[in-house]
Formats: sequence, structure tokens, C-alpha cells
Amino acid sequence: MEIKLHKPGPFSTIQDLGRFDFLSSGVPQSGAMDSLSARLANAALANKAEAAVIEFTYAQAEIEIRSDMLLAYSGKGAVFLDEEQTILPANRPLAVQKGTRLKLIPDGMGCRTYLAAPGGWDIPLIMGSRSTYLPAEIGGVNGRLLQTDDILRAAKWEDKQQSLFDYLQHSKRTHPQWAIKPMWQATSGTQVIRFLRGPEAGWFSEESLLQLISSTFEVDRNSNRMGYVLQGNSFQKIKDQELLSTAVLPGTIQVPGNGQPILLMADCQTTGGYPRIAQVAAVDLPRCGQLKPGDRICFQEISLREAENLYLEQERHYQQMRRSINLKYEI
Amino acid sequence: MADLSLKANHSLRYYALGEQAITVVFADHIDPDISHKIRQAEIVLSNHPFSGMLTTVAAYTTLSIYYDPFILKSRQTIDAKDIQEWIFDYFISLMDRVNENTQAAANILSIPVCYGGEYGPDLDIVAAHTGLNSEEVIAQHTSQTYLVYMMGFMPGFPYLGGLRPSLATPRKTTPRNLVTQGSVGIAGEQTGVYPLDSPGGWQLIGRTPLRLFDPKSEKPILLQSGQQVRFERLEHSLFDTYQNDHYGNKTS
Repeated sequence: MEIKLHKPGPFSTIQDLGRFDFLSSGVPQSGAMDSLSARLANAALANKAEAAVIEFTYAQAEIEIRSDMLLAYSGKGAVFLDEEQTILPANRPLAVQKGTRLKLIPDGMGCRTYLAAPGGWDIPLIMGSRSTYLPAEIGGVNGRLLQTDDILRAAKWEDKQQSLFDYLQHSKRTHPQWAIKPMWQATSGTQVIRFLRGPEAGWFSEESLLQLISSTFEVDRNSNRMGYVLQGNSFQKIKDQELLSTAVLPGTIQVPGNGQPILLMADCQTTGGYPRIAQVAAVDLPRCGQLKPGDRICFQEISLREAENLYLEQERHYQQMRRSINLKYEI
Repeated sequence: MADLSLKANHSLRYYALGEQAITVVFADHIDPDISHKIRQAEIVLSNHPFSGMLTTVAAYTTLSIYYDPFILKSRQTIDAKDIQEWIFDYFISLMDRVNENTQAAANILSIPVCYGGEYGPDLDIVAAHTGLNSEEVIAQHTSQTYLVYMMGFMPGFPYLGGLRPSLATPRKTTPRNLVTQGSVGIAGEQTGVYPLDSPGGWQLIGRTPLRLFDPKSEKPILLQSGQQVRFERLEHSLFDTYQNDHYGNKTS
């Protein structure tokens, strides 16, 4: 079971849920920018959550299916079309035939699409993860972006996946009736992102903090998997103090000397020395992973307890959804 | 608004770093003993993780503990006021209870360095700035024992303490687009080694054939916080030989 990339798309990498074993040695966690969509793509195939997926940024990719297989994709901003220009639906298993060519075409809000294969894509583990981290050339396919003519294999075709494929084949369908309900809808316009006050929020004036919640910010062109520069109000700290380098993580909003806040994302450094004005709520970080330059966001403050409850609720929902999909595979 | 719950205990306090990490604060200033304590605590905690604990990040004065609150709550009865307090209490009682021999590598690691020339193009700049000649710069740089206070900035990068103040030199005003892996530099009162090819503004005085980051080896990261290192002068003619002896005859 393998696919060949005829067009890799502008920025495509292999990712999983991240590399956590060497954070204390300065190795960033990496992983899918929209980890929720990556998990949904895997859930649709009854894969493990941490199975390796392809992360397509924007669209314009084209793949050839080299053997009959199951695939599933999730994410925002693009859909797969087959040669008849039929849209293959996201968030459910798809039975695709050898020789089929699929195109990834943009369809609106968002910019990252995740493609999963049975058992995950067959990629060696490097330092505990399959995630690509380009600056150190580790993970994924030789630590690099996917390129034209790359061939990717599915790791393992389990019996239950084979049976689902046979069933679909037999009933001449490309996908089952059921689908995973996406856990959030992409909406147009300014995105509302919830946050908690950061450890150094008190280093900034109350007016600054008020600006954080009352004004909008635009994702700057100077943004990538490491972080987004946010254009808008700039912040000046009122406390004449320097921070000793300490932990930062995806979702941390730090304010360097020029006052322009930076939202750290999957490939961010493990430690930083800029004051941390805010931390994006974990449930809203996947949505941040779908932002692209020019998108606008505004921030809404919530309490630690609220953020925690939102996350617990999301995870309960996710576990329930996984259980019901696994049942569908057992029939 | 006041979600920065700070709690004093054993002179330690903690704060929430979002809803998936807490940071334990050991001190408010850089201190070799504190670094050592943090490293010990990190080893003990990683030997005795709680359900849902993902990883830890050690820094100058802090140890941050990353966790998944969903896994923690589904496998553990939280009898404390909240999850953060439960983790902090777990951490404190673990420190009280466990008395493991966690001595960080007691030996001093020697890092061979080819100083000056193509390997250290800024050696003369450092000499000019400090008023020393290049031989004196090398002599002073190799005379100290340095402590790895913490790791960060990039994979395998050590924050070293112990540079002689007489060698302090400001960063380059225009950073280089490419600093070769292994380059040894000075930036202000810090000295360090680049584990990867990367852009950088440090004054480069030499280069080591030693790999600080070697992702495919069994020990991908050479250094860790608490480790002591010395720099040792290596003849330029031995750079390639050293690399071949240690990593086989292949370029990387």
C-alpha cells in the first residue's frame, strides 16, 4: 500500500503528535500544527492517535495511489478531488483504487490538511517521534520537506481495515455512510482565540492587557511552524526586569523588545527569555494551526479552570468518538 | 484573573504555565548549586513519573512539568484543591521520599577545539576587543572549567557558565547567515558551541569536531545540564582525523 507524490504541494511534511523526550535538551516538540485534525484523520482509520500523517500546508498537491488502499484526511482549507472532479469527503475512511490520482484543492478557511494511512505512514522513529523538524533535519523523510516522486508506504494494514476496505469494495462505494463530526467549524472573519494570562502578564500595564483583549491582530507574513508574529498593538513592559531563560511551549505568547507579540507554535524553541504575556488555551491551539498570514484574530481571556474544563470536555468527546468508530470497524 | 497561583513550600513555589504544565521555581538567580538541584529533581521525577506526565524542561532556576490533564484525571483521584496543587504536592513528596544517587556525570568532559583560522574566523576580533593577543585568548578560554547550566535555544545547545570576564566580547552587529555546526563562540559574557548549522551572531573563535547533536546515535545529545566541560586545543591538522576516528569516514 503506497502512494507517490506527483506534486508535493508548497510545504508538506510528515508529522505526528510530537517529540517529547528531549525537550530538556533543547529539541523542540514539533508535531502537527492542528493536532486535533491530525488525530481525527487517524481516528477515521481506527489508527493510534500518534500514527504519522502527512501535513499539507495550503493545497496544490497531487498524489497517485499505487495500490488499492484505505486513506482518510481531515483539516481545513482544502479537499481532495478524484479525476472526475468528485470531492472525496473528509473525516471518514476512503477506499481508493490503484492508479487513482487525487488532487488537493483549496476550499476556503484554513490552510492545513492531514492525510492518514492504515497504521500510519511507514517512517522511522527518530528520538521518539516521526515528526519532521526541518532546522535539525530530523524526522519524516530524511528530515526534509516531501518532494516530487517521494513514495510513502502505509505501515500496517490491519484485519479490521482490510475488512472495511473489502466491504466498501463489494458494495461499490468509496466511503461508508458514517463520518466523524468535525470538533469545530471553520468560520470566516476574525477568529476568537481564548487565552490565559501568562506568568509575566503583570510585567505589562493594565492598558496593555486591555489592548490584548480589545483589539485585533493580524498574522504577519513573517510566520512559520515556529511561531506567528502578530501585527497590531505593540506592548511595552513596565517592569524593568529581564527574564532568565525558562520554559516556553506552543501557545505561549511572548513579547520581545520591539513589543510585537509572537505566538509560539509547534516548532518553537523549548526555552525563551522574553516575557510571556499569555498562553493560548489548549483547545484553541489547533485552530491557531490553521491560521495563515493575513488572517485576523482577537483574544478573549478565560480562567485556568475554564481552560482546563474545556480541554477535559474536548478529550472526553474525542475518546467517545474513537470508541464509536472502533465499534464500526468491528462489525 | 489571578490564576498565577503561587505556593511556598520548601522554599519552592510554582505557577501554572497554561493548563498543561506547571513550573516549579527553585530560586530567582543563577547559581551552580541550584542548577545541580534542578537536574537531580528532574532525574528523580523522570524515574517516578505520575500518570499523564509528558516530559520536563529544566532551565536556569525552574523545572517545568508537562502533563495531559485528561490522562491524569482519568487515572488518578485528585484529592488536592486542583490539578496544579496535586502535581506540586506529588513533586514535593517525591523529593522528600526519594533519596537516589543522582550525581550528574562527575567527570569533566573535554571538548577539543581548533582555534582561529578557518575554524575561528573571529579570533582576531575577540583579541582586538579584549586587548589580548590570540594566543592569550586561547589560553584563557582553555583554562576554565565551564558548567552547563541548562540546554535550550536549539537541539543540544548548552548554556555555559564560567567564561572569564576578560574574554567578554559583544555579538556581531550583523549575524552570519550560516554558522557551521561545532563552531565555538563568544557572545557577551557567554561562551557556547553551535550543535547545528544555523544563522548566528556569536564571535566564532574555533570549532570542535565533536558532535553535540547526533540524532541517529544512541545518545543523540552529548551534554546535559549539570555537566562540567573544558575546552582543549586541537591542532588544525587533526580536525578531520578526529572526526573520522569518532564518527567514521563520512562527511556530515
